[in-house]
Amino acid sequence: MIEFRKEYFADERDDNLNEIGKPTQRQDALGHVTGRSPYFDDHLFEGLLHIRCVRSPHDHARIRRIDTSAAERMPGVVRIVLGKDVPNNLNTLLSLLDFGIDDEPLISDKKVSYKGEPVAAVIAESERAARDAVAQVRVDWEVLPAVLDVEEAIKPGAPVVNDVYPGNRFVYHGKYDHQKLRFGDVEAAFRQADRIIEGRYQMSPIEQAPTETCGAIAAPETNDRYVVYTSTQALFFSLDTTSKLLRVPSNRLHLIGGTVGGGFGGKVDSLHEPMAVLGTMLTGRPCKYIFDRHEEMQVGAPRGAERWYLKDGVMNDGRIIARKFTGYFDSGAYTRLSSYAIIKAVGHLPGPYTIPNVYADVYCVFTNRTPATAMRGFGITGVDFAIECHMDKIAHELGMDPIELRILNAYRDGDMKAHRRLAKNTALIECCHVAAEKAGWPLSQAARQASSLRDGGGARAEIPHTVTDQHGRVEGYTAGSYAQKKRPSGPAGQARGPQSPASHPSRDSIAVPSSFDRAPQPMSRPAPSAPPASAAVAPPPPPAAQRPAEQHAPEQRRVTRFSSISGLRRR
Amino acid sequence: MPVRVETFDSLDAAASALRSTRSARFFGGGTLLMRAANHGDQSFDTLIRARDPSFRHIRSESEGVSIGAGVTMKEIIAHRDLSFLIPAAQAVGGPAVRNMATVGGNLYANSPYGDLAVALLVLGARIEFVGQGGRGVEIEEFMRDRDRHQGSIVRAVVVPRPRDPSSFRFVKVSRVKPKGISLLTIATYLPQSGGRIRGARVAYGAMGPRPLRATAVERLLDGQYLDSATIERAAAAACDGIEPRTDSLASSWYRREVVGIHLKRLLTGDRR
Repeated sequence: MIEFRKEYFADERDDNLNEIGKPTQRQDALGHVTGRSPYFDDHLFEGLLHIRCVRSPHDHARIRRIDTSAAERMPGVVRIVLGKDVPNNLNTLLSLLDFGIDDEPLISDKKVSYKGEPVAAVIAESERAARDAVAQVRVDWEVLPAVLDVEEAIKPGAPVVNDVYPGNRFVYHGKYDHQKLRFGDVEAAFRQADRIIEGRYQMSPIEQAPTETCGAIAAPETNDRYVVYTSTQALFFSLDTTSKLLRVPSNRLHLIGGTVGGGFGGKVDSLHEPMAVLGTMLTGRPCKYIFDRHEEMQVGAPRGAERWYLKDGVMNDGRIIARKFTGYFDSGAYTRLSSYAIIKAVGHLPGPYTIPNVYADVYCVFTNRTPATAMRGFGITGVDFAIECHMDKIAHELGMDPIELRILNAYRDGDMKAHRRLAKNTALIECCHVAAEKAGWPLSQAARQASSLRDGGGARAEIPHTVTDQHGRVEGYTAGSYAQKKRPSGPAGQARGPQSPASHPSRDSIAVPSSFDRAPQPMSRPAPSAPPASAAVAPPPPPAAQRPAEQHAPEQRRVTRFSSISGLRRR
Repeated sequence: MPVRVETFDSLDAAASALRSTRSARFFGGGTLLMRAANHGDQSFDTLIRARDPSFRHIRSESEGVSIGAGVTMKEIIAHRDLSFLIPAAQAVGGPAVRNMATVGGNLYANSPYGDLAVALLVLGARIEFVGQGGRGVEIEEFMRDRDRHQGSIVRAVVVPRPRDPSSFRFVKVSRVKPKGISLLTIATYLPQSGGRIRGARVAYGAMGPRPLRATAVERLLDGQYLDSATIERAAAAACDGIEPRTDSLASSWYRREVVGIHLKRLLTGDRR
């Protein structure tokens, strides 16, 4: 039962809209309850072939030799597909957005970096025949040492999981082996704080567990095209990925989505369409490729694990004056979407609170685990868990009410967020009010009278003098266009640890013009207007009541644009 | 290699067919076997079925109730002579699985399956095989050496009736309710005479590859009054001599930590 609390923010909202704010029936509800929603697997084709993959039993191994001769002789086997049969056997999903370097084969032919990685595919007349033939493929493995922990993976000498990133770390903006956030000076603020409160938080991977496992059916269509019925959640990702891996113009691919039988993010970077189309290209017949339940659990990309270290500088009255994050996202063996999840996470820091000094180093780490991908709010949910656990820890250590602590530190309209955008439409305080009311939780009068609409902005809208650094700098990657990387010849090119700033130019020396405008990184430039250094480490000014409401908007409109992937704004 | 199904009218014929080839499996209710077949299990290519009516009998005998190995969980739940087994039969799968899953299959099911077998173990059931005369074997001996019986077909299980139904208790701990698989299953049979426990039997499921007796707990309970001090001692010794397994549901450490707590709740009647 939805309860609308329309007394809040009534003047910011138009209650006479046709759809928003009104209950509406899901467009697929009738089909679901009558059992008539069509799924990809409801499309029947005469002469349908079935694809099953030969998968690695090892976390990390080199492929010495694949012997398919026995499998080829099995009854019902039509074709066995190896990595060499894939026209362009290296891809990363977000290369479509020019973010990241191609690092993952569709069918691996040199080594495997996670348990379940495909090294061959069998196309057969029946699923059973395909499974029987898979069991007859002999792979000569050279088992390699595996690394399954994010912090172990970035230690010097750790096994190299992903040859494209020899340091086992994704490279951000062509510059750093992690994503930085710098706002103010946390170290100076830690020296001023009454207390330092630290915490370590770990989230495990989570399988999306759709009722319908991931899959696709491809078939030859007229005019030299292929039709594909797919369970994908992201039809155009699937289209472009298929086009790229198979070197087929996208106008020869006719992808048809429809009902997704449960997705939750696990069907965003599906690789079933290219595999099914490849099967159809090689055999001329309709091909189906679908995970069974075991594959869905073991091979289907989950929400990745995250590990967060938080260090807060806290005053005895509850004000948080500095917050430092070190985060490790377990991307698994390949990039998929973890690189992007980190951009989201860092944009979200330090949570819905106004903290004048924020610092984050967040690493996208490659380990010998199943590659991680999207799942409902990924990039935010994990760090929010860490942040809110940490807020409770602070409240406990200060002997403060946890809701009062949140209201005291809550962001308000007009405050500057650490990623240098002004907060608007904030509502944490009101959420706290309603949650406390529902729980019968007593709040002080000051907390009850607080409002997201008041007492923000002013000094809280300023960007503090920001201390920057160059640690984690890498060389040999171009910042403008990731797909056209300039990779160093050896693994020495990627920094394995913090380096002294003096050894590197402070500015990007490689300027590559690109069709894709990448916003420069705010943290690498001096802040537009640096206030006196003494102000930089001061606690946030207590909310001032004198500021009139019409100052919510920034005083000055600047030309802004989005980089769709990094969400950063050019000023 | 398609999977062949062979159906026989008599259990004896099925047993000899099963003996004649190593790539055949006997099909009870198929709840585990069909999953393996659908996933391309390469270890068998033949399924052997039997339509023998004696396979599905439920008969009261002097020693107890004889339950045909082909009797399903649903049939146990519905039978008035077997009401003491309802908690265990009800714990198996969901309605669709209970409709097919058989007593015989449950005896052979690997952990974390085999909840009913934990109850049969604690009640001291006896296993009778097709084509073998005599009294068969005690379930404990069967469980100890189950691999040796892989090529045999169980004809029936004879379960002694508990004299006092309240002396038998059963709990299945699972994360997903009501259909989750077992993280831990505990069955206790604690007959009392003069207020003291005589002949205590305690068994666990999902603590090892197959159901097993908790002999340390049995020794502590035997001859005692079931009071809180005894229960505390039993709970503290719940995992003595047992090395629980780690699987995708729980680690060995976790099972070791919680088994005593669940045993204590079961013995005190604390249902949560």
